[in-house]
Amino acid sequence: MLRLLKYELRKTLFAKLVLLGITFVAEAVFLAGFWGNRENTLLIGAALLFFIALIGIALMGILSLMTLHRDMNTRQGYMLFMTPNSCYRILGAKVIECGISLLLAGAFFFALGLLDFSLLLGKDSNRQIWDMFTQIIHAVNEQVVLDTPHISALIFSMLAAWLCTVTTAYLSDVVSSSLLNGQKANWIITFLLFLVLNYAISKLLTLVPASLGTITVLLLQGVVSLVLAGIMYVITARLMDKYLSV
Amino acid sequence: MDYDPMSPIWLQVVNRIKGSIATGAIGPGEKLPGGRDMAVQFSINPNTAARVYQELERAGLCETRRGMGTYVTGDAARIAQLRTQMAADAAGRYLRDLRILGLSRADAIRLLSEKEENENA
Amino acid sequence: MLESRELTKKFGAKTAVDRVSLKLEAGHIYAMLGPNGSGKTTWMKMAAGLIKPTAGDVLFAGSPVGIASRRDVAYMSTEPYFYLWMTVEDAGKYYADFFEDFSMERFLSMLRSMDLNEKDKIKNLSSGMVAKMKIALTLARDAKVYMLDEPFNGIDLLARDEIRTAILHAAVPEKLLLLSSHLVEEMEAIADRAIFIRMGKLIEVRDLEEMRETDGVSMADRYRAIFGHGEVQA
Repeated sequence: MLRLLKYELRKTLFAKLVLLGITFVAEAVFLAGFWGNRENTLLIGAALLFFIALIGIALMGILSLMTLHRDMNTRQGYMLFMTPNSCYRILGAKVIECGISLLLAGAFFFALGLLDFSLLLGKDSNRQIWDMFTQIIHAVNEQVVLDTPHISALIFSMLAAWLCTVTTAYLSDVVSSSLLNGQKANWIITFLLFLVLNYAISKLLTLVPASLGTITVLLLQGVVSLVLAGIMYVITARLMDKYLSV
Repeated sequence: MDYDPMSPIWLQVVNRIKGSIATGAIGPGEKLPGGRDMAVQFSINPNTAARVYQELERAGLCETRRGMGTYVTGDAARIAQLRTQMAADAAGRYLRDLRILGLSRADAIRLLSEKEENENA
Repeated sequence: MLESRELTKKFGAKTAVDRVSLKLEAGHIYAMLGPNGSGKTTWMKMAAGLIKPTAGDVLFAGSPVGIASRRDVAYMSTEPYFYLWMTVEDAGKYYADFFEDFSMERFLSMLRSMDLNEKDKIKNLSSGMVAKMKIALTLARDAKVYMLDEPFNGIDLLARDEIRTAILHAAVPEKLLLLSSHLVEEMEAIADRAIFIRMGKLIEVRDLEEMRETDGVSMADRYRAIFGHGEVQA
């Protein structure tokens, strides 16, 4: 499994390095503005960084899906399917890769954001930003409860939702790849299927009555997402195995 | 390695090795390559190589010593016999060819000595 | 050792392999022969567990082929399939990571005898060099079955000799080799059995030396008789 994972990570390395390079360029713009006291440059840099972070995190999921699509539809798939690994393991490595990439990207952009933000706050002239920030925190705190149980439930439900989204995407692609093997535009089917499945799942999750209280709702939604993810994982691996045709 | 693909390859290899033994290119008592090495050396299937050894052994031209490999026979009389046999075969082929051309035995002998004189001249 | 029973594969309306029952034994080099599109590749991919049959099955050592049999059956596809970032050495490491029977040492020594540099990027290699590398990768495994799909394709005369030598080195009595090619002459002396497949159907399996002895025909003659424009001779 670790070996599969290693190669899954390696497959998207180049794209990730490109993203990293672009991030550093934007960071350089930001720092140039910061140290050169050029507000416009600073703002452009900050906006770019924010934009890249958003795109970058989404990109982690897209890259993983693209890799799966290529493995299912091109000869590159031999590399996986000729090895003595079951489809469950192959798919498992892909899900884990996607998770690791996403977490790493999230942590990276969060850390970078924090760093840049503290730089800004370090300047006396920016004192007002800090005040604004604390005010926002207070305002939010008055609206929703942000204690440990709530945060834990939220994180659990978000992770479950993420897992569910990833498996939905993988299932969509494997369905379209096995039905329309090797056809050029089958990724469109993947996309449409993903939208439909995602819509259905979100509808299903809203069935959890809000009257149960925030924590219960979050936990229940998380459990449902996990169960759905598990079911989709098994279906995807079975389809991969049954319709394997590389 | 070129073979006539229409006749058994083992036979062609056997004949080549017989030729080498008769001319002394492979000396009496000399070790022959193992089955796999022979297959690689002659570019033939290993089963064909095995058949080659089987035939050479049957003809008394080589012997397999357990755990040591296969060796050309040290029996000088057998090798001399092989040489005689091969010479007789060659003479037979020559005569047959001339007969096809409608020449007599006397013509054949005359041609042979003329050819030899020309080559020596 | 490797057996297909009533093996059938359909791609849509097209039947690529049509009820082929075939029993292959260890200790032989089989040549699988037939024009392009006759079903050789599809049969091999099913035996490698890369394609699922529409009907029938393939058995390796008595059990259906699948994930476990990939440990013992080394398959070389005719098309290149490597990741674009890989060097020749990376491909070796990949095999070492996934096949316990792979010997890096044997791989490197085969590369050297074939004049390949392990530091080269695969995407920069000529097709002949890739073909040689694929052979080295596959034969550096200590598998029980080797299936090489078109090992001589796109390879110049000198390299063909190298490949023949590599194949003969791998052919030990407890192993089974299956080579497909439409370059029949290349396999005349190294194969001992020929499998003739036409339009997905098995025509016959022949012992080559026996055929030469009794009928005085070569594998190429037989090929022409079966696939040529004339009628099939019994």
